[in-house]
Amino acid sequence: MKHFFLVSSDAELFKLFKEICPQVQWSVFERGAGAIEYLFNDPPELLIVDNDLDDISGLELIRLFKSENVYRQVPVVLCLKKEALRQNLDFSMIEVDDFLVKPLDKELTAARLKLTLARAGRALDANPLTKLPGNTSIIHKIQELIVRKQEFALAYADLDHFKSFNDKYGFSRGDEVLMMTARVIVNTIRAFAGMDSFVGHIGGDDFVFIVPPDKVETVCKMIIQSFDSIVPNFYDQEDRTQGFIRSTDRQGKIQTFPIMALSIAVVFNLKGELSHYGQASQIAMNLKKLAKKNPKSCYVLDRRKSS
Amino acid sequence: MMQDLRVERKGRLLAVKDLPTLPTVLDEVSKLVQDPASSTEQIAKVISKDQVLSAKVLKMVNSPIYGFPRRISTIQHALVLLGFNVIKGLIISTSVFDIMAKNMIGLWEHSLGCALACSSIAKIAGLKDPEEYSVAGLLHDLGKVVATVQLPELKEEIDVLLKEKELTYIEAEVEVMGFGHDRVNAWLSDHWHLPLRLREALAWHHRPKSAQHYPDMAAVVHIGDFLTRAFEVGSGGDDHISYLKPEALEILNLKLTDLEKVLDDLGQEFVELSDFRPED
Repeated sequence: MKHFFLVSSDAELFKLFKEICPQVQWSVFERGAGAIEYLFNDPPELLIVDNDLDDISGLELIRLFKSENVYRQVPVVLCLKKEALRQNLDFSMIEVDDFLVKPLDKELTAARLKLTLARAGRALDANPLTKLPGNTSIIHKIQELIVRKQEFALAYADLDHFKSFNDKYGFSRGDEVLMMTARVIVNTIRAFAGMDSFVGHIGGDDFVFIVPPDKVETVCKMIIQSFDSIVPNFYDQEDRTQGFIRSTDRQGKIQTFPIMALSIAVVFNLKGELSHYGQASQIAMNLKKLAKKNPKSCYVLDRRKSS
Repeated sequence: MMQDLRVERKGRLLAVKDLPTLPTVLDEVSKLVQDPASSTEQIAKVISKDQVLSAKVLKMVNSPIYGFPRRISTIQHALVLLGFNVIKGLIISTSVFDIMAKNMIGLWEHSLGCALACSSIAKIAGLKDPEEYSVAGLLHDLGKVVATVQLPELKEEIDVLLKEKELTYIEAEVEVMGFGHDRVNAWLSDHWHLPLRLREALAWHHRPKSAQHYPDMAAVVHIGDFLTRAFEVGSGGDDHISYLKPEALEILNLKLTDLEKVLDDLGQEFVELSDFRPED
């Protein structure tokens, strides 16, 4: 069951919210100070704060809560009187996700809460750099396909020698390469319009994509071809000409590293062989070691059962 | 006073929003993007025939939104990174020259001819990625297009001046505007975050030795420009054959006799180019 917090001493307010969302577990706090410890220990799926509290201001409470990165994803709605809007609220400083104006209108409030929750769900799990779905969405998607017993090919892609590139050129140029890689994967897959597909960004230089099993080899080939032809543009002219970079390795020794390459490991779910996500990722990690042995871009298919 | 005028004109040039193009290429690309079976190679090939569409695509892919400004200099790469949707949007939002079209066709042909010449020269000079040089050749007179669209009253003055005096186009530009299309190219390249290699070619194709970082790019376009004019493919805006600076050959380690091979190549390609002109 979902858990929502309301911080307000206004009994009418609670009555209204309870009517709008009856199937949610509500915790109501009359005083701001009393809510803080609960908020920190067991954050809700939604926090609604009345600006007019007796002890501390609602804004102060929100600032306290949202200044911690672990709570930042919790959507927060502020209830205030219309007059308060005249005080020039600075929304760049106050991390509220939405606000409601008192007295609350029931239908409007219901719709606004739905929107706030939907929006938070979308924003929650996107990679901040590439804006692609992150880990939670990836696991969710794969699990869903497994449960539906749908046939699919799941590919894990990552970059070889990305770390040495980052070490030599700095993070922001590393980010450029990640953005490029994301675009190449997304656009290659989109070229097969209409098919059931998915692209996610696990984080760092790890990407995931899902395509129908009969398409995966073509997709891998196209992605590798595009990546290999574009990636030299991200090197300085001198390194590009000589075909490698000099950088310090993990032991502090100066080493040469080739131009970055893409390794892709592909796991299949045919005839419902996979029973859970962990199995897929386990197989993929083993395959990846194989793919990594090749210094050039390459893909390895899981041939255990498929003919 | 002159300084203020220059700043004001620069502002107007960089404010360019809608660069129109010729109907032929636009029709052809529109048809291709409608058809889901078209490949990026096919679309890239057609877009590469048009300096305005090419510039739009490169401007977009190098915009900071995509996260890798100044990195991409070929149309093929740009299309892979932008994807079908964005290309469709770009095509839809491109309009067509109407009144001006007739007298701009010459410049389009000249630019396309120069692109072909640059690719050929780059190959003979043993340079990597001839595709990049071809793009540089295609875009080398983009400043003229932008100036025509954004400062039409000055374009008229330039044309009048060309009739009255024995001037090259760039000399007339400098006299009327206070700067030439090479300057406009440099401003646009920076404003649009185009790769430094392209910027150098666009900004220094009249003075290749001044290119600090990539004189080879500028030199290739310089020679390409010369050959296209010598062959009288299209029009650069005046009737002069631009002067071939020996420094361009030196930079590329080429001899005049090397250019003969380029000329052989180009004869055939320039013949094929003639189907570019829609109606005559």
